[in-house]
Amino acid sequence: MASLAATFGRGAMTNGWVDIKNADVVLVMGSNAAENHPCGFKWAIEAKKTRGAKIVSVDPRFTRTSSVADVYAPLRPGTDVAFLNGLINYAITKNRFHEEYVRIHTNGPYVINEKYGFNDGLFAGFDESSGNYDKSAWAYDADPKTKAYLVDKEMKHPRCIFQLLKKHVERYTPEMVERICGTPKDEFLKVAEVVTSTGNAQRCGTIMYALGWTQHSVGCQIIRAAATLQLMLGNVGRPGGGVNALRGHSNIQGATDMAGTFEILPGYLATPRGELTDLKTYLEKVTPTTLNKETWATMNYWSNYPKFMVSLLKATYGKAATKENQWGYDWLPKTDGNYSWMFIFDDMYRGAKANVAGGTEPGPEGFITFGMNPVGIGPNSGKMIQALSKLKWMVVGENYEIETATFWDDKKTKAYGGPPSSQIQTEVFQLPCSGFAEKDGTFTNSARWLQWKWKAIDPPGQAKTDQEVIARLLLAVKDLYKKEGGPVPEQVLNMSWSYTNPVNPDLGEALKEINGKALEDLKDPKDPSKIIRKAGEQLAGFGEVRDDGTTMCGNWLHSGCYTEAGNLAQRRNNADPNGLGMFHQWGFSWPANRRIMYNRAGADAEGKPWDPTRPSIVWNGEKWVGDVPDMKPDAPPGTYGAFIMNAEGVGRLFAPSMNDGPMAEHYEAVESAVPNALHPKVTPSPTAVALAKKMKSDKDVLGTADKFPVVCTTYRLTEHYHYWTHHTNILNQLQPGFFIEIPEELAKEKGIVNGGRAKVTSARGSIEGVAMVTKRLRKLAIDGKQVWHIGFPIHWGYEGDPRHTGPLANFMTPSAMDPNTWTPEFKTFLVTLEKGGEGVA
Amino acid sequence: MSELGIPGASQRRGPTVMDVARDREDVVVGDEIVRHKLSSRIIHWTVALFFVGALLTGMPIWSPVFGWMAYLFGGLSVCRWLHAWLGVAFSAATVVMFFFWLSDMRFDENDKKFSFIDYLKFSAAEDPNVGKYNAGQKLFFWSILFAMLLVLLTGIPLWWPKSFSWRLRQVCIVLHDVGFIYWFVAIVGHIYLGTAAEPGTFRSMTRGTVTRAWARLHHPKWFRDVTGGRG
Amino acid sequence: MGAIQGFEIRRSSAALRGGGTMLRQQPTVAKYIDTSICIGCKACEVACQEWNDLPLVKTEQVGTYQTMPSLAPNFWNLIQFREIDTGPHGFAWLLRKDQCMHCADPGCLAACPAPGAIVQYQNGIVDVDPEKCIGCGLCEPGCPFDVPRYTARDNKMAKCTLCVDRVTVGLEPACIKACPTGCLQFGDKSSLLALGAHRVKQLQDDGFASAAVYDPPGVGGTSVITVLKHGDHPEWYGLPKDPSVPTTVSLWKRVLHPIGFVAMAAAIFGAIGHFMAFGPKKPVDTAKDAGKEV
Repeated sequence: MASLAATFGRGAMTNGWVDIKNADVVLVMGSNAAENHPCGFKWAIEAKKTRGAKIVSVDPRFTRTSSVADVYAPLRPGTDVAFLNGLINYAITKNRFHEEYVRIHTNGPYVINEKYGFNDGLFAGFDESSGNYDKSAWAYDADPKTKAYLVDKEMKHPRCIFQLLKKHVERYTPEMVERICGTPKDEFLKVAEVVTSTGNAQRCGTIMYALGWTQHSVGCQIIRAAATLQLMLGNVGRPGGGVNALRGHSNIQGATDMAGTFEILPGYLATPRGELTDLKTYLEKVTPTTLNKETWATMNYWSNYPKFMVSLLKATYGKAATKENQWGYDWLPKTDGNYSWMFIFDDMYRGAKANVAGGTEPGPEGFITFGMNPVGIGPNSGKMIQALSKLKWMVVGENYEIETATFWDDKKTKAYGGPPSSQIQTEVFQLPCSGFAEKDGTFTNSARWLQWKWKAIDPPGQAKTDQEVIARLLLAVKDLYKKEGGPVPEQVLNMSWSYTNPVNPDLGEALKEINGKALEDLKDPKDPSKIIRKAGEQLAGFGEVRDDGTTMCGNWLHSGCYTEAGNLAQRRNNADPNGLGMFHQWGFSWPANRRIMYNRAGADAEGKPWDPTRPSIVWNGEKWVGDVPDMKPDAPPGTYGAFIMNAEGVGRLFAPSMNDGPMAEHYEAVESAVPNALHPKVTPSPTAVALAKKMKSDKDVLGTADKFPVVCTTYRLTEHYHYWTHHTNILNQLQPGFFIEIPEELAKEKGIVNGGRAKVTSARGSIEGVAMVTKRLRKLAIDGKQVWHIGFPIHWGYEGDPRHTGPLANFMTPSAMDPNTWTPEFKTFLVTLEKGGEGVA
Repeated sequence: MSELGIPGASQRRGPTVMDVARDREDVVVGDEIVRHKLSSRIIHWTVALFFVGALLTGMPIWSPVFGWMAYLFGGLSVCRWLHAWLGVAFSAATVVMFFFWLSDMRFDENDKKFSFIDYLKFSAAEDPNVGKYNAGQKLFFWSILFAMLLVLLTGIPLWWPKSFSWRLRQVCIVLHDVGFIYWFVAIVGHIYLGTAAEPGTFRSMTRGTVTRAWARLHHPKWFRDVTGGRG
Repeated sequence: MGAIQGFEIRRSSAALRGGGTMLRQQPTVAKYIDTSICIGCKACEVACQEWNDLPLVKTEQVGTYQTMPSLAPNFWNLIQFREIDTGPHGFAWLLRKDQCMHCADPGCLAACPAPGAIVQYQNGIVDVDPEKCIGCGLCEPGCPFDVPRYTARDNKMAKCTLCVDRVTVGLEPACIKACPTGCLQFGDKSSLLALGAHRVKQLQDDGFASAAVYDPPGVGGTSVITVLKHGDHPEWYGLPKDPSVPTTVSLWKRVLHPIGFVAMAAAIFGAIGHFMAFGPKKPVDTAKDAGKEV
């Protein structure tokens, strides 16, 4: 998501599920949508049936998606950047890109400063010692006097981004793609031909990706490459286009929107760091300023940052938040380091905050986990188990007995190197919680649609909903603070908790709070005599959010979901007047019920749609009509750039905010099977290597190709959902057990037979499973060398029905990660393969 | 109770012909000859009972024309179950019967001259060399036996459909039917000849005895053998 | 579930006379399966099992994505997964939903000896009535698609009913309802054939020259029609190339039965005729008897 935000301004699927039906080409890569998003994939099928769209599947395995694709091409796991850059190069060299679009809607014409360079795998500004880049070397060139960015509309300037990109990707010839990815040249060209057929105004193509791209040490760069490709082809902001991130859970988009990770607050507001000691400093740091005055002005929507932040603080601390106390900014927890997943567990395992300056503070002693199975989700599950065993206490809120809850049981974990139960002192509390069907609330899907769901059944037995468990915990802590006091009592005691039933808050009330309301009468800024919103009324959207404490809003991005008109997430009107599947009266789609983000880019400079049969928004002389415009509704074409969340107002072919390079470059995985064909001295991503090296514990070992020559990947199956459906026997019936997919020739070489046992060993341990010998995995020739790849699904674990237990896939995976999102590299690592014994786990 | 057949028996009150027929056969008692001892008759009727049972339970399965027969047993599902067991019982009884009569059923030189057509004309004089069983009867015996084996073997896969391939069962259905049709025809002939067509025969399977005249007519050699030529 | 009461029956197994009123004319319904866009998600498998309330099958991983080797008495809908080399450079992973094909000329019904155990409704659906099924297993040899399966208890035949209980009340079958991609459709057969023809045309334009709708004439057509990319190789999908009611069933029902009846009648009438012409054969033992006889 970081890549999409860095490119377009917002980190989410650009278009939407239904919109995929409007595509002419659907590139499914880094995703196995047919298997993992079968219900959403219907729209790709719909495009095929009704528009004759071509589905292109690029995947290391011939998957169920490939089985219905019109074109399939294999590639070696983890080489997607090379493939995508090859497509960009093909589009440029064959002049199959949408030049007019690039000129008006991207930063292609912008000039980059002279410090920028790229040499032998490294961008300018790399600091060897820290492993980080100095990103000022990637900044736009600006007029020293006016500070306005330099722009060459002809895109001929040697330092203009279009030229830099052209030069950057020219190394990715079809021959080079074959050398790196192993994709035979003719198969690559077939894909290139189809995909770049959309590089014009008439046609439009979409990309569907998922964890097959994100879970790499170059995950963000893969997505950056895809976003760049789509901008070059002019496919963003248009119906049937976009870069569509398919979220792996029904509500993961919602979780991310509501501060799913440590570095963000709800609505993607940055978590303040300790050094930003007051609100003013914080806001100055995070609010972008507009610089390009020469070209189109920009709305720079993030200039509203203070409104969002103050309203969030008002929602958090209620009346206690006043102007005088900076709306309670001081009470917000501040970060002092990296608290992403792997770092938390590294701290836990090492018993110290090793990655925070000083490194002497003790690590966590307790851990609360809800709807999350840390042992399963890894990486390096063996380390996860060891880390948990160093805790004093752990609380697990779950509806099943998950692996994490029994990490201490050596009968189950011994086979994977788990410590003896007698040596574990961790006290584990398991709270029976409810499943998704046992509570109300919203799901926010990949398409950013908030859809209310109603409880289907009551939770069984003593199980309680998560909100009740959390509320009871909070109230108990508040009581303790009241009775006994403690550090920073304001932080807890001032927290607003104004639900009708504080013990078990109604989630409708929570949604109202997320939407926000006026705390005082809001006056029209243009005419102060008019009151646009009375005190106590729900806000109509984030346009009404204020920074003077007169509004509160739990998540500005979701604002508009529960207005005076009611809970819009409950809407189920499937009227579709323009036939493009926007369904504006179904649920609520953030932002502002907009169905296609950046839809201004779906029209040309005059505001006419690129393809009149598929308009996103159209300028009718007075205002923009069609979808909810991603633009000031009455701003004539030429007023503002199409990408209102980006300070410069355009889509970024070149994104200076990325941590590992402004343009995507092919790097091998941290556990790399072969040297980097482009620059052998810089084989994996240098920033990713620097991060992986921070994981210094004895449990963090990396394998090398001489000892572990087989490339391995992990994935999911249609029949199961993550780590918990192996508790559901109707699904176990469909996929009864763990297996390892092995190409026929490799199986023959190793004496492994279909249905027999196979054993996989990585630098972190071994697991065994049933061998699935298949033609669907192919031997690929990488730079003249044969490289095999195998894979296995993640769904099993040591808990559940004994007939359906199996090894956790993440016993195999390394503690390598993407340097932007710290997402683990689950999709490419090194192993050896041999014939398995009988009856071993 | 009938009069004693042995001359002078009325005075001596010796064993009656029924007494003799309990455990001996091929014995002349007075005017009668014991043709089938009791155990032979029991096994015959056992076979017959199971046969008829299997027939009546099988025929409604064979064709809905005979569907009404199923009601005699409580429905077609019962027939499906009973038919198999009756078939097994019939087969077992047939095997016992086979050993009872095997020695009498060996073909000899004289049997080669037997003509079924001539026999059915009823007009021609009986071959004086026909023993206890004529060649037609022997043929019937052996054919019933082989048909039993055929129907039994083809019946087993039909009994347990899940344990045998449907290809095999396809063949079995046809052969089971062929066996059944043969049987039906053969049994009609058997009953006809044993009752209406040749009076005096039926009693050989009830009382176990036949008249001297009957024996002389139908089985002259056997008659000579049991009477020592004095008849 | 038994045969649906009051639902017009076209044909009934082992019936001496027709079973329906023939008052109602209903269009033949059909299930449409487009294998070219089936993603093998198995939603249909689960929907079938849940709607029909069938107990789970104990399966184990044997090296395939396919749920189990073939249909089971409590598993009526199975996606078959086949890896096929389609040519020198061609490879396909062919996924096909396997279930009862609901033949217009059902071999199972022809082979069934139990009156009313297998019925064909006026709309073409072929259904089993377990109350009348005698568990003889004769329908299996009658089926060219290897569909009938038998329950552990009493060998009752069980198979897809095309959700006749749903169809009767105007709903689509459960599998169709669950299908996320629309590769399954339900409706009257003629319109689905038209849809199939349209899709075949699209596939042919995409280079699959031999694409076809599988609706085998050997069994009079089926109420499950299947769009195949490789229409010239139905066997790649696990479908028989030119299925018909097996010859043994025809031999049995159409040849052996008449012969049997003739033979049985001939035996009985032969005996009676013979008696009138020749019999009885009685001993002419004494002159007195002889005199009486003559």
